[in-house]
Amino acid sequence: MTTASPKLRIQEVALHYDDGQTRALDGVSLEVAPGEFVAIVGPSGSGKSSLLNVIGTLEQPTAGQVYLDGKAYSEIRDASLFRRENIGFVFQSFNLIPTLTALENVVVPTVGGSGRVAAHRSRAQALLAQLGLGARMGHLPGKLSGGERQRVAIARALINNPRMILADEPTGSLDSANAEQVLDILKGVIKQQGLAMIMVTHDAKVSAHADRIIHMRDGRIEQEGGT
Amino acid sequence: MTLLEFAISNLRRRAARSGLTMSAIALGIAAVVALTSIAWGFEASWQKANDARGTDLIVTRVASENTMPTPFREERVRQVLAAMPHVHEVVGLLSEMLTVSEDAPPVFVFGWVYGSYLWDHLKLQQGHWPREPMEDGVVIGSIAAETLHKKVGDFIEIEGKRFAVIGLFESSAVVENGALIMTLDQAQLITDKPGKVNVLNIKLDTTASEAEVQAIKERVKRELPGYVAITSGELVRKNAVVRISKAMSNATILIAGLVGALVVFNTMLMSINERTKEIGILLALGWQRATVMKLVFSEAVVLSLLGGAAGILVGIGIAWGLEHVELMRGKIDPVFSVPFCFAVLGLSVLLGICGGIYPALKAARMQPSAALRYE
Repeated sequence: MTTASPKLRIQEVALHYDDGQTRALDGVSLEVAPGEFVAIVGPSGSGKSSLLNVIGTLEQPTAGQVYLDGKAYSEIRDASLFRRENIGFVFQSFNLIPTLTALENVVVPTVGGSGRVAAHRSRAQALLAQLGLGARMGHLPGKLSGGERQRVAIARALINNPRMILADEPTGSLDSANAEQVLDILKGVIKQQGLAMIMVTHDAKVSAHADRIIHMRDGRIEQEGGT
Repeated sequence: MTLLEFAISNLRRRAARSGLTMSAIALGIAAVVALTSIAWGFEASWQKANDARGTDLIVTRVASENTMPTPFREERVRQVLAAMPHVHEVVGLLSEMLTVSEDAPPVFVFGWVYGSYLWDHLKLQQGHWPREPMEDGVVIGSIAAETLHKKVGDFIEIEGKRFAVIGLFESSAVVENGALIMTLDQAQLITDKPGKVNVLNIKLDTTASEAEVQAIKERVKRELPGYVAITSGELVRKNAVVRISKAMSNATILIAGLVGALVVFNTMLMSINERTKEIGILLALGWQRATVMKLVFSEAVVLSLLGGAAGILVGIGIAWGLEHVELMRGKIDPVFSVPFCFAVLGLSVLLGICGGIYPALKAARMQPSAALRYE
């Protein structure tokens, strides 16, 4: 699906290592519309995670350009600040900090940033309540179920009002019931807020939830289509 | 949640390691506090003793740097000094560290000129002062009375001669409270140093200006070769024991500083290595590298600050304990001050910063994509 004003536009992106000997990405182009959920599938080493890293500004492409809401990544002066303000990450293994409560984990991305601590805390409380964790805010991750932990991670991804969600196998550590619930939440959020979501997954059941599936192989988009 | 709260949470997560690191820092700081307070206290107590006596200048042998300067024949020197302008009184003083009881540590025994101004600052608690230059009696300081278990009316044998304890006194200087005082004539007799003193104390009249004091110093240098006129502060600073104890205290500060910084460095580096993935997550979530550095520094500084605070308390305890050990009673008077405690806390923070520099840089330089893959 291509729109006149895509949320995310990727143009001929390449990511090479070892003086071009290793080509993690090789001329990838893609557009994602506001509110669209794109699943990226493919075998190991196909470039899925590399693409997610480039979109997430965790790695700089060797060639090509990425735009989010029309802003070129090459113009970004502070990638950290850009990530904080624009991108929400959801990881497979939740990656919560074990000694912090659910509420504290949600506010972690705001630490050291601008804004009042109390305001961040209120927003985190509202997000957790919205995700059905109102009664679990004071619990440590070890005391939460897998589904609850991933909902905490989703709240953490949303705390800074991102424009885009990047999810790397977010349901990989969950049973099917919890996986369905997490996917429903994510889909609801992006539709409601007009965010773009790109999700890397191996699971065909998960990718079936996406608006579009991108198949990757050898650093290239092999096939693209709706679900 | 603030950065500091997050740092404290990280330290609590590794409570045993944090506790061990803080203990190591505390021990180093305790050694610094105890030794420094004793070294300064040693200097201060001798200066206080000299100042309390009202002495303006002290004349001693040029090369002598002992706690009790080398004895010299006083008569000629005293006559020359007495003839100088503004000199109101010149009195000799003889002192020795002597064992006066087999079951007690040695004490200072001072011989002061009978009836001189040196006695004026002491407060007599019981008994009386010597009534004649050759009286076979000693007055005893309050601490010496406790350590020697003596009271007025008892007898003390000093260098084979029996002396009656004729008085009990209190002084503002701990060195004097731990001492026995007799007349100079008696002290010279029992130590077999007739006509000799360790120092000559000069009391000037009240009209002497700084320039005139300096002129007296110059005249002593010129007219009494081998002798020097100095203030009590200069005498104490010249003292070899004071200089050695200060040098030891400075060496301890250096060693404790290095060890403390290394301990913090090791702890923080281990912590950073273990938290590679977590730091990758923080960077991926939008933490700036400067924020990651601040987090690591905060942890290092909190560790060293808490260790430093505990070390100050332990150091004060050690110095207090040493002050009350029988052997040391009446000889040291540890000095603690609020600025000193703040300076030690500052040293602790410096240790934390120095020890945290490399781990903080290492953490901040991590590539988030690589750190996220770290298992």
